[in-house]
Amino acid sequence: MISRIAFRFSSRRSALAGGVAVLIIILSVVLGPYLDPHSPNAIDHHIMGYPQAPSAEHLLGTDLLGRDVLARALSGGRVSIAIGFTAMLVAVVFGTLYGAIAGAFGGPLDAVMMRIVDALFSFPTFFLIITVEALTNQFAVGIIVLILGLLSWMGVARLVRAEVLSLRGRDFVEAARALGVGPARLIARHLIPNALAPVIVAATLAIGDNILAETGLSYLGLGVQPPTASWGNMLQDALLPAAREAPWMVLTPGILIVATLVAFALLGDGIRAAIDADAA
Amino acid sequence: MSTFIARRVLGAIPLLLLISIISYAMMGLSPGGPAAIFAAQAQRMSPIARAEFIHSLGLDKPWYVQYLYWLGNLVFHGSLGYSYVDQRPVIEKILEHVPVTVEMLSLALVATVLIAVPIGIVAALKRDTAFDYVTTVVAFASYGMPVFWLSIILIDLFAVHLGWFPSAGANSIGQEGNPLDRLRHLVLPVTALTVVSLASWIRYQRGAMVNVLGELYLRTARSKGLSEARVILHHALRNALLPTITLLGLSLPGLFSGAYFIEYVFSVPGMGYLGINAVFQRDYPTVMALTMLTAVLVILGNLLADIAYGIVDPRIRYD
Repeated sequence: MISRIAFRFSSRRSALAGGVAVLIIILSVVLGPYLDPHSPNAIDHHIMGYPQAPSAEHLLGTDLLGRDVLARALSGGRVSIAIGFTAMLVAVVFGTLYGAIAGAFGGPLDAVMMRIVDALFSFPTFFLIITVEALTNQFAVGIIVLILGLLSWMGVARLVRAEVLSLRGRDFVEAARALGVGPARLIARHLIPNALAPVIVAATLAIGDNILAETGLSYLGLGVQPPTASWGNMLQDALLPAAREAPWMVLTPGILIVATLVAFALLGDGIRAAIDADAA
Repeated sequence: MSTFIARRVLGAIPLLLLISIISYAMMGLSPGGPAAIFAAQAQRMSPIARAEFIHSLGLDKPWYVQYLYWLGNLVFHGSLGYSYVDQRPVIEKILEHVPVTVEMLSLALVATVLIAVPIGIVAALKRDTAFDYVTTVVAFASYGMPVFWLSIILIDLFAVHLGWFPSAGANSIGQEGNPLDRLRHLVLPVTALTVVSLASWIRYQRGAMVNVLGELYLRTARSKGLSEARVILHHALRNALLPTITLLGLSLPGLFSGAYFIEYVFSVPGMGYLGINAVFQRDYPTVMALTMLTAVLVILGNLLADIAYGIVDPRIRYD
């Protein structure tokens, strides 16, 4: 099944383009800081307050503190994508367990658990993220990841529950149960592995959503705190009135965010289409 | 139909109760609550007066006790409490801020549907052509734009450089009752909200149309000699528009999130502007009331979408 899906995926140009773009972006933020001679946090006092336009020395110019924009974009990308990825992992692990337990046990437990999901789904979670982040007043990357992840798992939970419900009556589950497999092992070894296909698509898209959420938090001053660069706080800097004359400060992180989001969306869309075509 | 509506309204009560508990718990369990803020602000108060003040707001009790007080006041007195900031009744403050948000949301929703639905349909008809690829990428790009980035670019271009539209607020001074002036203020925020919501609608509409195009009844229609235009317009289109109605309900929480954020960027005095400022001021009663009101509006929107679905699709029976 995997190889058929991979074949269908690679025969779609937009999906391939998305996959390649994601690879390039990840490779450049992982390897880039080793190749770029500038340090992302090195302040140049001579040009402080006077952002320099792109030049041979600073390929994407400098920011208000005279820091190299390219170096910050690369290391900031590392932080932003790492946040997007780990918050996605938190949401996927939690959502999968939650959905699998609800689906496997069914009955009143399932009803209560899914009402909680409905409740969390019926209000703007981003507002909730802002509230919790503002009240917590903790801006360590780990805390931001936890808050983003723990407030965005509901979609995964719904997907996994629906899959598990449809798997529950299947012969291999009956067989496992007849062999005396306990509920924990049944969920972990038999139900979850077979329910993961739709989760992959949701996970791909969640990475982008988390990157966007971090930029939103940064705009409110609730995201990754300087001097550590993230695409969100680079944008926040770039929108200061003093940066009016330095469009490279606004455009670099902005275009990178949009490009990354488009790449992940194309990738997710391609995987979805490949899975659907395989099922059809 | 009426039993369906009654059942849904009754079902909404435990849902709202659950939402209120979750929100209250999250605020109550977060460190750095209002008690700490007041303690820092009220340096001039004597410790006894400060303790008295905190006690009078009930902030010395555990969160679940505070929650029960809050719930009791709401159920038995219909009161959402008083703002910590200016001691005005919360309901009064919120009602002042509801109209702008509702106007903004409705305008953005109408604009989104009018733009996205035709694009989605054409993209499906021209599947795997350049048009399809370009709209896909443009749709994803509009979804990938940080909304405040887009807002600031809009402000820079249309308010600062061209001067066509105002950059902030919902009315010019002295023009409070003028609908045209209100509309001019809402153009940029509504544009921003529309652009970021387009993507999901275009993709959804395209998917729905692609599904319908594979249906056998279209083959039947073609084989009995109907023109292609008639097949598409009469047989495919109507069925492809149906599932989009459900998106109306599903997209509401996201729309509210977007609207709240945009209001903050454009200083539009709506629910989001009030809400985000209330969050920063630790004004729990206002935050709670806004959360509940948003949830009620979202649940109501979903109910309306389901009812509309039942009306336009005769195959759906609610009983």
